[in-house]
Amino acid sequence: MMETFRNLTRRKLRSILTISGIVIGIFALTTMGALAERFNQQLEGGVTYYESNIQVGVPDGQLVALLPLSKMEAITSVTGVDAVFPTYSFLLKPGSGFSFGGAPESIVNRIPQQTPREQPPTSIAQGRDLNPTASREVVLGSKLAIEFRKHIGDTFDLPVKPASAGPEFVNHTFTVVGILNPTGTAPDGFALVTTPDARTLLADSLPQVIQRSVDLSQVAPEFTVYGKPGASIGQLDEIARQINRQVSGVKATEPSVPVNGFKQFAALFTTITTAAALLALVIGGLSVVNTMIMAVSERVREIGLKKAVGAHTGDVLREYLMEAGFIGLIGGVGGYVLGFGLTGLINASNGASPLFLITPKLTILVIGFAVVLGSLAGVLPALRAARLDPVTALRTSN
Amino acid sequence: MSNIELIDLTKHYRRGAHLIRALDGVSLQIRGGEFLSIVGRSGSGKTTLLDVLGLLLRPTTGSVHINGVDTARLSDGRRADLRGRQIGFIFQEYNLLPALDVVENVMLPLRYAKTGVKSHRGRALQLLEMVGLSDRIHHRPDELSGGEQQRVAIARALVNRPAVILADEPTGAVDTQTAQGLIRLLKELNREQKVTIIIVTHDLDVAAQTDRVIGLKDGRVFRDDPALANAS
Repeated sequence: MMETFRNLTRRKLRSILTISGIVIGIFALTTMGALAERFNQQLEGGVTYYESNIQVGVPDGQLVALLPLSKMEAITSVTGVDAVFPTYSFLLKPGSGFSFGGAPESIVNRIPQQTPREQPPTSIAQGRDLNPTASREVVLGSKLAIEFRKHIGDTFDLPVKPASAGPEFVNHTFTVVGILNPTGTAPDGFALVTTPDARTLLADSLPQVIQRSVDLSQVAPEFTVYGKPGASIGQLDEIARQINRQVSGVKATEPSVPVNGFKQFAALFTTITTAAALLALVIGGLSVVNTMIMAVSERVREIGLKKAVGAHTGDVLREYLMEAGFIGLIGGVGGYVLGFGLTGLINASNGASPLFLITPKLTILVIGFAVVLGSLAGVLPALRAARLDPVTALRTSN
Repeated sequence: MSNIELIDLTKHYRRGAHLIRALDGVSLQIRGGEFLSIVGRSGSGKTTLLDVLGLLLRPTTGSVHINGVDTARLSDGRRADLRGRQIGFIFQEYNLLPALDVVENVMLPLRYAKTGVKSHRGRALQLLEMVGLSDRIHHRPDELSGGEQQRVAIARALVNRPAVILADEPTGAVDTQTAQGLIRLLKELNREQKVTIIIVTHDLDVAAQTDRVIGLKDGRVFRDDPALANAS
């Protein structure tokens, strides 16, 4: 190992340049990988959520997105349905669109009987859960608590008033009673309120004409339907189809549709980010090949000497592969440390919405990949070294 | 101590349309503990003979027996093992590894010897003391004089307790005084450790200090004179 290290220091500039190539490649792989990991973590949360229930909304073409609560009874009678809950969900900041940080921040109703069924599960980190009979209480997801600097007992006006809001904008003051543990997924951006409070917020969001013509205590925008515990996604799909056949005026979405969408998107995103990083690594790998070929050319006599004193072909092969792998290791650790530092800095400056996630899996992957890349790049030069004829090598004039 | 027997060795190369007979029917018997030299002009075949003796080169025909083992029948791996255990090499240009310090250079053959030697470093230090370099063990080769480098190479050649040392022009790159010191050292090793030493040289003064001189010409032995040293 010491010989390997000293050989690298014999040609300092060349070694530095080669290692820099690997550092850049691994840095790219680390940051892209961390971006993909974070993205996949959020998508995984979506997959977990959609795999656990069936979303029921209004049929296509219906203008007013409200379902009569009476439909819940009809849905409950469908074979395989275990429970049905009304779902109210609004944007926390009306008018805000897609955010790269994942699912949009939302106000969602929380029903005590539904909580144990929710996926991914949530738990209270500080304070307490909502009191179903109290009003104007809110439990915040971890990200919202950080973003709005809210603590237990603080007040929070919901929905959050956008800068462009006109005089007709209405919101209500809630008291923060609890903060959730982070999940890394959508619930981190949720403000959870009781169903009656959610109805009030729903009313505020609807045009006056609808508010006057509809009994808002008897409608909900969506239903969340649960199958029997342990129901597979295939079984939930079948339940969704049954609901669509048996219950009129509703549309149940087969869970596999969003789940497959998430999975395909995750795979595509990972492919794109990994391909970009691999491109950088190929360049780094080629510089290792070049460096090792140069090293072999310069050390022909040394190789001849080693063979003369008893080294087998395999010994020489192993030594040169180790040297190439060592270059990969140094470059890998360097690139990883740089990537770790930069993603950490960006995450810190981004506050509650981390963009990157460096997992142990990613760490092992990138450093392992660097070593394997270095070693692979060393195969050709190492074979060249190992196959040298000792007599010719010893008489070479380098 | 090992006996070496060369039986009707030939080594032919083809260069274009010409067949070069580097060795052309060499037969020799070398007893364990001999101190001998191989002399001849450039192109006489002496270096080729040394390479064949050192199992670095396979002869075209004929065979090399070391302690009764026909080395022609051995695989490359077994020949490497035999080389590592039985043969020490000394080269004109020393061939020390610049990335290693003195003691590490001496220990190099032990890296490849599958003999389970435990005190590698102790053995190397002992040899460096013997060649008078115990105060230079952490120096790199480029920090040593030519004579010192060759003494490191001698220590390296001895580290595996070989039966035979093959020295290819060992004094070719040093001044006369240093050359004398090196030959004296090799002679002592031969006498005290009973190691067979074969020196390839074109320097007749060096050859004159050995106990047997084998002369090569056009790939053939034209002289095998055990009394040359006494005669001179």
